[in-house]
Amino acid sequence: MFKDLDPILHSQLRLAVISLLISVKEADFSFIKEKTNATAGNLSVQIQKLKEAGYVEVEKKFSNNYPLTTCKITPKGIEAFETYVKALQEYLNAGKS
Amino acid sequence: MQNEHQLTEAESLQIITEMIGKVKSHFHESGSGAILWGSVIGFCSLMSFLQLYFHFSIGFDIWILSLVAIIPQLFIVWNNRRKRTIETYSEAAMNAVWSTFAIVLFGLILYLNLIGNISKQLMLNEQQLLLMKNTQTGELKEIVPFVLSSNSLFLLIYAFPTLATGFIRKFKPMILGGILCMLCFVASLFLNTTFDFLLQSIAVIVSWLIPGLILRNRYVKQQMGNV
Repeated sequence: MFKDLDPILHSQLRLAVISLLISVKEADFSFIKEKTNATAGNLSVQIQKLKEAGYVEVEKKFSNNYPLTTCKITPKGIEAFETYVKALQEYLNAGKS
Repeated sequence: MQNEHQLTEAESLQIITEMIGKVKSHFHESGSGAILWGSVIGFCSLMSFLQLYFHFSIGFDIWILSLVAIIPQLFIVWNNRRKRTIETYSEAAMNAVWSTFAIVLFGLILYLNLIGNISKQLMLNEQQLLLMKNTQTGELKEIVPFVLSSNSLFLLIYAFPTLATGFIRKFKPMILGGILCMLCFVASLFLNTTFDFLLQSIAVIVSWLIPGLILRNRYVKQQMGNV
């Protein structure tokens, strides 16, 4: 019996954001936007969904009079990502056998 | 990147691999700090060696330069923070290692500057005096207690952050630099202060300045690639 893939993570952009954040301590909104090639509006919506799920922390501050948004993955987000990857492996292994 | 597309398992895996790869290739260590301190400490050590070896004086304490270098270092830290768009776990570890090193270095300098006179006073309180005897003339001279081969201690603590950086970052030039610091430390135990300065100069040039230049070269190449 396969585990269901987490619907929060099983989305192209949200998965890309979490995959970026898993390997860093924190990242600016501009960095995530650049690496995912997403539009600012779409990215904001998806980050908000990740935040509501408790998978990321978002900090808004000012740097040199410009707004700066920093994102950080939470322990709950790390756990969800690990579970997602495990479930993915199960699906892929089942496909091979 | 669109969001509405229904992902297959293989696509999910591809996104994860691609994003992790993008973070790995985002190299932004400019090497400025290593170049600054490798140059300053290397130059001060070399000047100290030359003054002692050739018996001349430049008229001021060359090590004042290491205090002056704190100003550009503060600018480097400020500039890096301003430009930084991500902080990786290894960067956080590096910051902790080098901050600890700076604190330990400050403690060692404080110790070396205070311990002589404090020890002399404590010995006087117990009616003791430290004397040095000239074995030829038999003359006895009062001396202030001092730490023998204090430069060896600097070489030893230079090895710590250099090796830690090399191992954490898997950066061979710094691993080799750290090993050289350890070898220079052992060699300095058998040499006098004059040559300790020469060893110190070689150690910091190899373990900080050269790796710093390598990092700088990589950074410039990456910046040119991004244009």
